[in-house]
Amino acid sequence: CPHLLSQAFPLPSLPRKQPTVLVVCGPAQNGAIGLVCARHLRIFDYEPTIFYPKRSPDPLYRDFTTQCEKMDIPFLSYLPTEVQLINDAYNAVVDAVLGAEAEAGEGREPCATILATLKHVRIPIVSLDVPSGWDVEAGSSGGISPDVLVSLSAPKRCARRFLGRQHFVAGRFLPYDVQKKFELNPPEYPGTECVVAL
Amino acid sequence: QEEAQAIDQELFTEYKFSVDQLMELAGLSCATAIAKAYPPSSFTTSQPTVLVVCGPGNNGGDGLVCARHLKMFGYEPTVYYPKRPSKPLFEGLTTQCQKMDIPFLPEFPTEAALIDELYGLVVDAIFGFSFKGAVREPFGSILSTLERITAPIASIDIPSGWDVEKGKADGLQPDMLISLTAPKKAAMHFTGRYHFLGGRFVPPALQQKYALNLPPYPETDCVLQLT
Repeated sequence: CPHLLSQAFPLPSLPRKQPTVLVVCGPAQNGAIGLVCARHLRIFDYEPTIFYPKRSPDPLYRDFTTQCEKMDIPFLSYLPTEVQLINDAYNAVVDAVLGAEAEAGEGREPCATILATLKHVRIPIVSLDVPSGWDVEAGSSGGISPDVLVSLSAPKRCARRFLGRQHFVAGRFLPYDVQKKFELNPPEYPGTECVVAL
Repeated sequence: QEEAQAIDQELFTEYKFSVDQLMELAGLSCATAIAKAYPPSSFTTSQPTVLVVCGPGNNGGDGLVCARHLKMFGYEPTVYYPKRPSKPLFEGLTTQCQKMDIPFLPEFPTEAALIDELYGLVVDAIFGFSFKGAVREPFGSILSTLERITAPIASIDIPSGWDVEKGKADGLQPDMLISLTAPKKAAMHFTGRYHFLGGRFVPPALQQKYALNLPPYPETDCVLQLT
Protein backbone atom coordinates (compact mmCIF):
# COMPACT_ATOMS: atom_id res chain seq x y z
CA CYS A 1 0.00 0.00 0.00
CA PRO A 2 2.58 2.64 0.88
CA HIS A 3 4.46 1.98 -2.35
CA LEU A 4 1.45 2.76 -4.41
CA LEU A 5 0.49 5.67 -2.22
CA SER A 6 3.70 7.28 -3.33
CA GLN A 7 3.02 6.25 -6.92
CA ALA A 8 -0.46 7.68 -6.86
CA PHE A 9 0.44 10.72 -4.79
CA PRO A 10 4.15 11.39 -5.10
CA LEU A 11 5.46 13.45 -2.21
CA PRO A 12 6.22 16.64 -4.15
CA SER A 13 2.72 16.76 -5.59
CA LEU A 14 0.83 16.88 -2.33
CA PRO A 15 -1.23 20.05 -1.91
CA ARG A 16 -0.53 20.59 1.79
CA LYS A 17 2.89 21.67 2.98
CA GLN A 18 3.30 18.61 5.19
CA PRO A 19 2.78 15.17 3.62
CA THR A 20 0.08 14.25 6.12
CA VAL A 21 -2.03 11.15 5.65
CA LEU A 22 -4.85 9.89 7.87
CA VAL A 23 -4.95 6.11 8.24
CA VAL A 24 -8.27 4.84 9.57
CA CYS A 25 -7.96 1.31 10.94
CA GLY A 26 -10.81 -1.05 11.67
CA PRO A 27 -10.89 -3.77 14.33
CA ALA A 28 -9.77 -6.76 12.24
CA GLN A 29 -7.17 -7.77 9.66
CA ASN A 30 -7.86 -4.88 7.30
CA GLY A 31 -7.05 -2.50 10.14
CA ALA A 32 -3.85 -4.36 10.94
CA ILE A 33 -2.74 -3.99 7.32
CA GLY A 34 -3.43 -0.27 7.73
CA LEU A 35 -1.05 -0.20 10.73
CA VAL A 36 1.73 -1.80 8.70
CA CYS A 37 1.04 0.64 5.87
CA ALA A 38 1.26 3.59 8.26
CA ARG A 39 4.66 2.42 9.54
CA HIS A 40 6.09 2.16 6.03
CA LEU A 41 4.62 5.55 5.13
CA ARG A 42 6.55 6.99 8.05
CA ILE A 43 9.76 5.37 6.79
CA PHE A 44 9.03 6.88 3.37
CA ASP A 45 8.89 10.34 5.03
CA TYR A 46 5.14 10.84 4.94
CA GLU A 47 3.46 12.03 8.14
CA PRO A 48 0.80 9.48 8.92
CA THR A 49 -1.72 9.81 11.74
CA ILE A 50 -3.75 6.80 12.81
CA PHE A 51 -7.32 6.49 14.03
CA TYR A 52 -7.74 3.04 15.58
CA PRO A 53 -10.75 3.14 17.88
CA LYS A 54 -11.36 -0.58 18.38
CA ARG A 55 -8.08 -2.36 18.93
CA SER A 56 -7.71 -6.03 18.25
CA PRO A 57 -6.47 -8.20 21.13
CA ASP A 58 -4.42 -10.31 18.70
CA PRO A 59 -0.78 -10.19 19.90
CA LEU A 60 0.56 -9.71 16.38
CA TYR A 61 -1.71 -6.71 15.79
CA ARG A 62 -0.88 -5.32 19.24
CA ASP A 63 2.79 -5.44 18.25
CA PHE A 64 2.00 -3.57 15.04
CA THR A 65 0.41 -0.89 17.22
CA THR A 66 3.51 -0.68 19.42
CA GLN A 67 5.75 -0.38 16.38
CA CYS A 68 3.70 2.59 15.17
CA GLU A 69 3.61 4.25 18.58
CA LYS A 70 7.35 3.86 19.03
CA MET A 71 7.85 5.47 15.66
CA ASP A 72 6.04 8.56 16.93
CA ILE A 73 3.01 8.08 14.74
CA PRO A 74 0.17 9.89 16.54
CA PHE A 75 -3.03 8.03 17.34
CA LEU A 76 -6.14 10.21 17.33
CA SER A 77 -8.46 9.75 20.28
CA TYR A 78 -11.49 10.62 18.18
CA LEU A 79 -12.35 11.19 14.55
CA PRO A 80 -13.70 14.68 13.90
CA THR A 81 -17.22 14.57 12.55
CA GLU A 82 -16.56 17.97 11.01
CA VAL A 83 -15.42 16.79 7.62
CA GLN A 84 -13.76 20.12 6.85
CA LEU A 85 -11.26 19.50 9.65
CA ILE A 86 -10.17 16.30 7.96
CA ASN A 87 -10.03 17.95 4.54
CA ASP A 88 -7.84 20.71 5.95
CA ALA A 89 -5.43 18.60 7.96
CA TYR A 90 -4.65 15.71 5.61
CA ASN A 91 -3.75 15.13 1.97
CA ALA A 92 -5.36 11.73 1.74
CA VAL A 93 -7.15 9.12 3.82
CA VAL A 94 -6.23 5.45 3.85
CA ASP A 95 -9.39 3.40 4.40
CA ALA A 96 -8.32 0.29 6.30
CA VAL A 97 -11.59 -0.09 8.13
CA LEU A 98 -13.28 -3.19 6.74
CA GLY A 99 -11.99 -5.83 4.38
CA ALA A 100 -13.34 -8.80 2.48
CA GLU A 101 -14.11 -10.75 5.63
CA ALA A 102 -16.45 -8.15 7.12
CA GLU A 103 -19.98 -9.26 7.73
CA ALA A 104 -22.30 -6.30 8.02
CA GLY A 105 -19.50 -4.64 9.93
CA GLU A 106 -20.63 -1.35 8.63
CA GLY A 107 -23.73 -1.53 10.74
CA ARG A 108 -21.79 -1.70 13.98
CA GLU A 109 -20.16 1.16 15.80
CA PRO A 110 -17.71 2.72 15.58
CA CYS A 111 -17.50 1.75 11.91
CA ALA A 112 -20.90 3.17 11.03
CA THR A 113 -20.06 6.68 12.21
CA ILE A 114 -16.57 6.53 10.66
CA LEU A 115 -17.98 5.53 7.30
CA ALA A 116 -20.67 8.19 7.50
CA THR A 117 -17.93 10.80 7.95
CA LEU A 118 -15.65 9.35 5.26
CA LYS A 119 -18.49 9.47 2.74
CA HIS A 120 -18.24 13.25 2.85
CA VAL A 121 -14.51 13.95 2.79
CA ARG A 122 -13.26 15.77 -0.26
CA ILE A 123 -9.65 14.61 -0.11
CA PRO A 124 -8.76 11.36 -1.92
CA ILE A 125 -9.45 8.04 -0.20
CA VAL A 126 -7.28 4.98 -0.78
CA SER A 127 -9.16 1.80 0.14
CA LEU A 128 -7.40 -1.40 1.11
CA ASP A 129 -8.87 -4.44 -0.61
CA VAL A 130 -12.53 -3.51 -0.38
CA PRO A 131 -14.01 -0.02 -0.04
CA SER A 132 -15.22 -0.25 3.55
CA GLY A 133 -18.92 -0.73 3.84
CA TRP A 134 -19.29 -2.13 0.34
CA ASP A 135 -20.70 -5.62 -0.12
CA VAL A 136 -17.74 -7.78 -1.19
CA GLU A 137 -19.58 -9.10 -4.23
CA ALA A 138 -22.18 -6.54 -5.16
CA GLY A 139 -20.52 -3.27 -4.30
CA SER A 140 -22.46 -0.43 -2.90
CA SER A 141 -24.38 2.59 -3.97
CA GLY A 142 -24.26 5.44 -1.55
CA GLY A 143 -21.19 4.10 0.20
CA ILE A 144 -17.73 5.66 0.24
CA SER A 145 -16.16 6.48 -3.11
CA PRO A 146 -12.44 5.87 -2.99
CA ASP A 147 -10.08 7.50 -5.44
CA VAL A 148 -7.67 4.58 -5.36
CA LEU A 149 -8.30 0.90 -4.66
CA VAL A 150 -5.55 -1.54 -3.72
CA SER A 151 -6.77 -5.07 -4.22
CA LEU A 152 -4.90 -7.51 -2.00
CA SER A 153 -3.94 -10.83 -3.57
CA ALA A 154 -6.56 -10.43 -6.29
CA PRO A 155 -9.47 -8.08 -7.02
CA LYS A 156 -12.75 -8.90 -5.30
CA ARG A 157 -16.01 -9.00 -7.22
CA CYS A 158 -17.07 -5.59 -5.96
CA ALA A 159 -14.03 -4.07 -7.65
CA ARG A 160 -16.06 -4.06 -10.83
CA ARG A 161 -18.07 -1.22 -9.36
CA PHE A 162 -14.99 0.80 -8.54
CA LEU A 163 -15.13 4.15 -10.29
CA GLY A 164 -12.09 5.88 -8.89
CA ARG A 165 -8.90 6.99 -10.61
CA GLN A 166 -6.51 4.10 -10.02
CA HIS A 167 -6.85 0.42 -9.25
CA PHE A 168 -3.75 -1.44 -8.11
CA VAL A 169 -3.30 -5.06 -7.23
CA ALA A 170 -0.78 -6.17 -4.61
CA GLY A 171 -0.44 -9.91 -4.90
CA ARG A 172 3.03 -10.66 -6.05
CA PHE A 173 3.66 -12.92 -3.09
CA LEU A 174 1.14 -15.53 -4.23
CA PRO A 175 2.80 -18.82 -5.18
CA TYR A 176 2.18 -19.97 -8.77
CA ASP A 177 0.18 -23.03 -7.86
CA VAL A 178 -2.24 -20.92 -5.82
CA GLN A 179 -2.61 -18.54 -8.74
CA LYS A 180 -3.31 -21.42 -11.10
CA LYS A 181 -5.65 -23.23 -8.73
CA PHE A 182 -7.88 -20.20 -8.36
CA GLU A 183 -7.38 -19.06 -11.96
CA LEU A 184 -6.27 -15.66 -10.86
CA ASN A 185 -4.42 -14.70 -14.06
CA PRO A 186 -2.55 -11.84 -12.50
CA PRO A 187 -0.86 -9.25 -14.73
CA GLU A 188 2.92 -9.03 -14.99
CA TYR A 189 4.55 -7.10 -12.21
CA PRO A 190 7.15 -4.64 -13.51
CA GLY A 191 10.74 -5.22 -12.37
CA THR A 192 10.86 -5.81 -8.65
CA GLU A 193 7.64 -3.89 -7.89
CA CYS A 194 5.16 -5.45 -5.50
CA VAL A 195 2.15 -3.62 -6.93
CA VAL A 196 0.87 -3.22 -10.46
CA ALA A 197 -1.69 -0.77 -11.81
CA LEU A 198 -4.66 -2.40 -13.52
CA GLN B 1 29.33 -6.11 16.35
CA GLU B 2 27.94 -5.17 19.77
CA GLU B 3 26.17 -2.15 18.37
CA ALA B 4 24.52 -4.22 15.67
CA GLN B 5 23.37 -6.68 18.32
CA ALA B 6 22.10 -3.82 20.51
CA ILE B 7 20.06 -2.34 17.68
CA ASP B 8 18.56 -5.73 16.93
CA GLN B 9 17.68 -6.18 20.59
CA GLU B 10 15.91 -2.84 20.71
CA LEU B 11 13.95 -3.60 17.58
CA PHE B 12 12.70 -6.81 19.16
CA THR B 13 12.16 -5.76 22.76
CA GLU B 14 11.23 -2.06 22.59
CA TYR B 15 9.64 -1.82 19.19
CA LYS B 16 8.11 -5.32 19.30
CA PHE B 17 9.12 -6.25 15.79
CA SER B 18 9.00 -9.97 15.20
CA VAL B 19 11.96 -11.82 13.71
CA ASP B 20 9.63 -12.87 10.89
CA GLN B 21 8.86 -9.27 9.95
CA LEU B 22 12.44 -8.09 9.82
CA MET B 23 13.69 -11.25 8.13
CA GLU B 24 11.09 -10.85 5.39
CA LEU B 25 12.07 -7.23 4.78
CA ALA B 26 15.77 -8.14 4.88
CA GLY B 27 15.39 -11.03 2.44
CA LEU B 28 13.33 -8.88 0.09
CA SER B 29 16.06 -6.20 0.15
CA CYS B 30 18.66 -8.78 -0.78
CA ALA B 31 16.64 -10.08 -3.71
CA THR B 32 15.93 -6.52 -4.88
CA ALA B 33 19.59 -5.51 -4.70
CA ILE B 34 20.59 -8.63 -6.63
CA ALA B 35 17.97 -7.87 -9.28
CA LYS B 36 19.39 -4.38 -9.71
CA ALA B 37 23.04 -5.44 -9.96
CA TYR B 38 22.60 -8.74 -11.83
CA PRO B 39 19.45 -8.51 -13.98
CA PRO B 40 18.44 -11.86 -15.53
CA SER B 41 19.54 -10.62 -18.96
CA SER B 42 23.12 -10.18 -17.68
CA PHE B 43 23.65 -13.88 -16.91
CA THR B 44 26.11 -15.84 -19.06
CA THR B 45 24.47 -19.12 -18.09
CA SER B 46 21.57 -20.09 -20.35
CA GLN B 47 19.07 -19.51 -17.51
CA PRO B 48 19.40 -17.01 -14.64
CA THR B 49 20.37 -19.72 -12.17
CA VAL B 50 21.41 -18.75 -8.66
CA LEU B 51 22.82 -20.96 -5.89
CA VAL B 52 21.73 -19.78 -2.44
CA VAL B 53 23.88 -21.25 0.35
CA CYS B 54 22.09 -20.97 3.70
CA GLY B 55 23.78 -21.24 7.05
CA PRO B 56 22.40 -22.48 10.38
CA GLY B 57 21.08 -19.20 11.77
CA ASN B 58 19.26 -16.02 10.87
CA ASN B 59 21.56 -15.25 7.95
CA GLY B 60 20.39 -18.54 6.46
CA GLY B 61 16.80 -17.47 7.07
CA ASP B 62 17.47 -14.23 5.18
CA GLY B 63 18.79 -16.43 2.36
CA LEU B 64 15.58 -18.49 2.25
CA VAL B 65 13.44 -15.35 2.00
CA CYS B 66 15.81 -14.00 -0.66
CA ALA B 67 15.54 -17.22 -2.69
CA ARG B 68 11.74 -17.04 -2.66
CA HIS B 69 11.68 -13.45 -3.91
CA LEU B 70 14.34 -14.21 -6.53
CA LYS B 71 12.01 -16.88 -7.88
CA MET B 72 9.20 -14.34 -8.10
CA PHE B 73 11.51 -11.92 -9.89
CA GLY B 74 12.15 -14.49 -12.61
CA TYR B 75 15.39 -16.11 -11.45
CA GLU B 76 15.93 -19.85 -10.97
CA PRO B 77 17.27 -20.25 -7.46
CA THR B 78 18.53 -23.50 -5.95
CA VAL B 79 19.11 -23.73 -2.22
CA TYR B 80 21.73 -25.64 -0.22
CA TYR B 81 20.63 -25.78 3.42
CA PRO B 82 22.60 -28.43 5.31
CA LYS B 83 21.89 -27.40 8.93
CA ARG B 84 18.26 -26.53 9.55
CA PRO B 85 17.09 -25.23 12.95
CA SER B 86 13.95 -27.03 14.08
CA LYS B 87 12.04 -23.84 14.72
CA PRO B 88 8.70 -22.99 13.08
CA LEU B 89 10.13 -19.86 11.45
CA PHE B 90 12.78 -21.76 9.48
CA GLU B 91 10.54 -24.73 8.79
CA GLY B 92 7.94 -22.33 7.40
CA LEU B 93 10.44 -20.55 5.17
CA THR B 94 11.74 -23.89 3.88
CA THR B 95 8.22 -25.06 3.07
CA GLN B 96 7.45 -21.80 1.26
CA CYS B 97 10.50 -22.34 -0.96
CA GLN B 98 9.74 -25.99 -1.60
CA LYS B 99 6.12 -25.24 -2.50
CA MET B 100 7.43 -22.73 -5.02
CA ASP B 101 9.44 -25.50 -6.70
CA ILE B 102 12.79 -24.21 -5.53
CA PRO B 103 15.06 -27.28 -5.44
CA PHE B 104 17.09 -28.08 -2.32
CA LEU B 105 20.40 -29.79 -3.11
CA PRO B 106 21.12 -32.98 -1.14
CA GLU B 107 24.82 -32.25 -1.24
CA PHE B 108 27.14 -29.38 -1.99
CA PRO B 109 28.91 -29.42 -5.36
CA THR B 110 32.43 -30.64 -4.63
CA GLU B 111 34.12 -28.85 -7.50
CA ALA B 112 34.29 -25.11 -7.86
CA ALA B 113 34.20 -25.58 -11.63
CA LEU B 114 30.85 -27.34 -11.37
CA ILE B 115 29.35 -24.38 -9.54
CA ASP B 116 30.69 -22.02 -12.20
CA GLU B 117 29.12 -24.13 -14.93
CA LEU B 118 25.69 -24.42 -13.36
CA TYR B 119 25.12 -21.07 -11.69
CA GLY B 120 25.50 -17.46 -12.76
CA LEU B 121 25.55 -16.15 -9.20
CA VAL B 122 26.03 -17.51 -5.68
CA VAL B 123 24.30 -15.96 -2.67
CA ASP B 124 26.32 -16.35 0.53
CA ALA B 125 23.78 -16.55 3.36
CA ILE B 126 25.96 -18.62 5.67
CA PHE B 127 27.06 -16.43 8.57
CA GLY B 128 25.88 -13.03 9.69
CA PHE B 129 26.86 -10.36 12.16
CA SER B 130 26.61 -12.65 15.19
CA PHE B 131 29.37 -14.89 13.89
CA LYS B 132 32.24 -15.49 16.28
CA GLY B 133 35.01 -18.00 16.55
CA ALA B 134 35.77 -21.07 14.47
CA VAL B 135 33.89 -22.19 11.40
CA ARG B 136 32.27 -25.57 11.95
CA GLU B 137 31.74 -28.20 9.28
CA PRO B 138 30.28 -28.47 6.76
CA PHE B 139 30.77 -24.76 6.32
CA GLY B 140 34.56 -24.83 6.38
CA SER B 141 34.66 -27.00 3.26
CA ILE B 142 31.88 -24.99 1.63
CA LEU B 143 33.76 -21.75 2.14
CA SER B 144 36.96 -23.29 0.78
CA THR B 145 35.12 -24.27 -2.39
CA LEU B 146 33.45 -20.86 -2.69
CA GLU B 147 36.81 -19.15 -2.38
CA ARG B 148 37.79 -20.88 -5.64
CA ILE B 149 34.79 -20.15 -7.83
CA THR B 150 34.84 -17.49 -10.52
CA ALA B 151 31.07 -16.86 -10.51
CA PRO B 152 30.18 -13.70 -8.58
CA ILE B 153 29.20 -14.02 -4.93
CA ALA B 154 26.66 -11.78 -3.21
CA SER B 155 27.09 -11.87 0.57
CA ILE B 156 24.26 -11.09 2.93
CA ASP B 157 25.38 -8.63 5.62
CA ILE B 158 28.87 -10.05 6.25
CA PRO B 159 31.05 -12.07 3.88
CA SER B 160 30.91 -15.44 5.63
CA GLY B 161 34.00 -16.41 7.53
CA TRP B 162 35.12 -12.80 7.95
CA ASP B 163 35.66 -11.31 11.38
CA VAL B 164 32.65 -9.02 11.78
CA GLU B 165 34.88 -6.02 12.53
CA LYS B 166 38.25 -6.77 10.94
CA GLY B 167 37.42 -8.71 7.80
CA LYS B 168 39.58 -11.53 6.44
CA ALA B 169 42.14 -10.82 3.79
CA ASP B 170 42.51 -14.47 2.70
CA GLY B 171 38.81 -15.26 3.00
CA LEU B 172 35.82 -14.99 0.68
CA GLN B 173 36.01 -12.03 -1.71
CA PRO B 174 32.43 -11.37 -2.76
CA ASP B 175 31.48 -9.19 -5.73
CA MET B 176 28.48 -7.80 -3.88
CA LEU B 177 27.72 -7.02 -0.26
CA ILE B 178 24.23 -6.26 1.00
CA SER B 179 24.60 -4.58 4.37
CA LEU B 180 21.45 -4.93 6.44
CA THR B 181 20.26 -2.07 8.63
CA ALA B 182 23.67 -0.38 8.52
CA PRO B 183 27.11 -1.36 7.22
CA LYS B 184 29.21 -3.29 9.73
CA LYS B 185 32.84 -2.47 10.43
CA ALA B 186 33.95 -5.33 8.20
CA ALA B 187 32.42 -3.50 5.23
CA MET B 188 35.44 -1.20 5.24
CA HIS B 189 37.44 -4.16 3.96
CA PHE B 190 35.00 -4.95 1.18
CA THR B 191 36.57 -4.61 -2.25
CA GLY B 192 33.82 -5.96 -4.51
CA ARG B 193 31.92 -4.01 -7.16
CA TYR B 194 28.54 -3.56 -5.51
CA HIS B 195 27.73 -2.46 -1.98
CA PHE B 196 24.03 -2.06 -1.23
CA LEU B 197 22.22 -1.11 1.93
CA GLY B 198 19.03 -2.99 2.74
CA GLY B 199 16.63 -3.52 5.62
CA ARG B 200 14.74 -0.25 5.39
CA PHE B 201 12.95 -0.66 8.67
CA VAL B 202 15.00 1.24 11.21
CA PRO B 203 12.82 3.85 12.91
CA PRO B 204 14.23 7.40 12.69
CA ALA B 205 14.58 7.60 16.49
CA LEU B 206 16.79 4.51 16.54
CA GLN B 207 18.91 5.85 13.69
CA GLN B 208 19.55 8.97 15.72
CA LYS B 209 20.22 7.13 18.95
CA TYR B 210 22.99 5.06 17.37
CA ALA B 211 24.17 7.89 15.10
CA LEU B 212 23.85 5.62 12.09
CA ASN B 213 24.04 8.54 9.63
CA LEU B 214 22.46 6.50 6.90
CA PRO B 215 22.13 8.24 3.54
CA PRO B 216 18.53 8.56 2.38
CA TYR B 217 16.96 5.73 0.43
CA PRO B 218 15.55 6.76 -2.94
CA GLU B 219 11.74 7.23 -2.79
CA THR B 220 10.06 3.98 -1.81
CA ASP B 221 12.96 1.69 -2.72
CA CYS B 222 13.92 -0.89 -0.14
CA VAL B 223 17.58 -0.79 -1.15
CA LEU B 224 20.19 1.92 -1.57
CA GLN B 225 23.27 1.47 -3.72
CA LEU B 226 26.28 2.73 -1.76
CA THR B 227 28.91 1.89 -4.41
